[in-house]
Amino acid sequence: MIRPHDSIIVQSLGRFLIPVIQIFGLYVLFFGQYGPGGGFVGGVILGTSMILSVLIFGHDASRSQIAKKILHGDGVGMLIYAGVGGLCMIGGGEFLNYAELDIPGLETAARRSLGIVLTQIGVAVDVAVTAVSIVFSLSAEEIIEDSLNG
Amino acid sequence: MSRHFPAILFLLPLFAAISMPVVCLRHRHWSRPISLAVLSSMVVLSILNLNSIITHGEVRYAFSGWSAPLGIEWVADGLASMILVTLSFLGLLALVFAGPTSPKDLGGRIVHYYTLILLLISALTGIVFAGDLFNLFVFLEVAAIASYALIGVAGGRALFAAFRYLVLGTLGASLYLLGVSYFYAASGTLNMADMAEKLPHLLNSKAVVGGLLFMFIGLGIKMALVPFHAWLPDAYTYAPESISPILASLVTKVALVGWVRIIFWVLGAKVIVNDIPVLLLVGILGTLAAVIGAVLALNQRDIKAMFAYGGISHIGIILIGVSQGNQTGFVGGVFYLLNDAVMQAALFFLAGMAICQYGARTVEDVGRIGKQAPWFTGVLIIVAMGMIGLPPTGGFFGKWYIILGALEANNYIAVAAVLLSTLLTLAYFVRLFEAIFRQTPLPSDRLPSDIPFAYKLSLGATSAAVIMLGVFSDPIVQLLLNHALPPGL
Repeated sequence: MIRPHDSIIVQSLGRFLIPVIQIFGLYVLFFGQYGPGGGFVGGVILGTSMILSVLIFGHDASRSQIAKKILHGDGVGMLIYAGVGGLCMIGGGEFLNYAELDIPGLETAARRSLGIVLTQIGVAVDVAVTAVSIVFSLSAEEIIEDSLNG
Repeated sequence: MSRHFPAILFLLPLFAAISMPVVCLRHRHWSRPISLAVLSSMVVLSILNLNSIITHGEVRYAFSGWSAPLGIEWVADGLASMILVTLSFLGLLALVFAGPTSPKDLGGRIVHYYTLILLLISALTGIVFAGDLFNLFVFLEVAAIASYALIGVAGGRALFAAFRYLVLGTLGASLYLLGVSYFYAASGTLNMADMAEKLPHLLNSKAVVGGLLFMFIGLGIKMALVPFHAWLPDAYTYAPESISPILASLVTKVALVGWVRIIFWVLGAKVIVNDIPVLLLVGILGTLAAVIGAVLALNQRDIKAMFAYGGISHIGIILIGVSQGNQTGFVGGVFYLLNDAVMQAALFFLAGMAICQYGARTVEDVGRIGKQAPWFTGVLIIVAMGMIGLPPTGGFFGKWYIILGALEANNYIAVAAVLLSTLLTLAYFVRLFEAIFRQTPLPSDRLPSDIPFAYKLSLGATSAAVIMLGVFSDPIVQLLLNHALPPGL
């Protein structure tokens, strides 16, 4: 069980920093095509922002609801990943061969770009969920048990 | 379409495993039907895959369209496809068997339990298909992590056994990874086919010699080769009854397949590293394992431990077969590997049934229940025939070809080791049968007579497979000779 942090400095800084961290995470995620970054790092940063909100505001606060909700999303990222890979196979290429991504009305270059962005989003979701669930399972076992049983 | 089979065979259980927590969030009891459906379609796909490999030749599947030395490659040749048919068949039966035998107190963790089983199956598929050394490592680790968790599910002594397996298994994986990095440093590539071209010029390099040693020790731990087998008996004995058939029949055998791939497809069959012929070394290790494992099995009271040591000794027999350096021995070894996977699955089904249905764990307990449990004793007789190597079963033909191969190579020590281990196998099964047929059951031991259908199905199918592999041994051996031989043998 994580209680809210009682320092006003930490709370105000958290209120300010968490959105910035999330925006930076999204930037790293989408910038991955053109430079350093990508799904894994972006997912870690997004996951960290949620962990931070749980640590600062406690896990019953309304700000931490997203972190608790996202625990159920374990595997959604992988489904996105599988969907993109499957569309590539339907288009006649190998698994994850984005050039054959079966979305009509797109140039090959656009297909490659879209394919890699979608898979990276999938990776980011799963990495973020995993990071959050590690923190939760270390801190409060009953949350995971509850969410599984209910 | 058929060229996608190898990728689909791996991706299907992987994605099913990872999406299971989402799909079964509200309906926890869906996890078992979903797993069964996935494994059934794997059986169908793997047979179609084998068929297309036989008619069209091997498939090299380049993920994302990046071809071999740069990208990640799946190699579906005859050997991999044959192993995969066995793997998915036994995986399905083990899953059927897991229904009535799973630990009862899993609760919400039942979803995670089936997730881990599917993850284990997909990782084993990955090891069989992997075309490069690094991905072999990745899937070895995924399979190992899934097995640690599955062994520990039952709690109690199983946790300690799982922890011991974790320590030794991690050591093995680290050594293997170290070996791969030495190979990479020496040759600049990780792809097996590419490395096979570059290695012959590098065999005297210290990096290759050291790397080979590390890889052998690492994989030796994974497949419980005799000096490194200490983790196996406890892990298999205390693992939940529903899990030990998968572990015993598949995990060590698939690690052995990885070893065979590295020796024959990467190094080359006749390779001599630092004046030591690799095959000779493998043969000596196999001889030791075959005899020592059987001797240790003879000393066990717990039937699961007895069967686990039996499996260790059979790993040795397979290694004796593949290390003879001729086609007969190699095919015999691989054929025996398929048989052994089926027989180990059947033995652990039997042990699981004895424990869950009748509460019998030791040889004496089995003697007490034996006469009243026709399914148990009947299947035990068939599987024992296979383990000992009596004619109508596949075990006989496997040993036959191994001995023929050893005679062809004038390796009489190997012949003696196979025969000695056969005698010892006979001895520990005679102990079981003596207990069954000499004890008269007490009138108080009324046993439950209704056996769940899942037991009948899994026991019936495996014992039929033990006999079928013998009856159809000729076409299977021809298939192996035509499609599964390594280059240059």
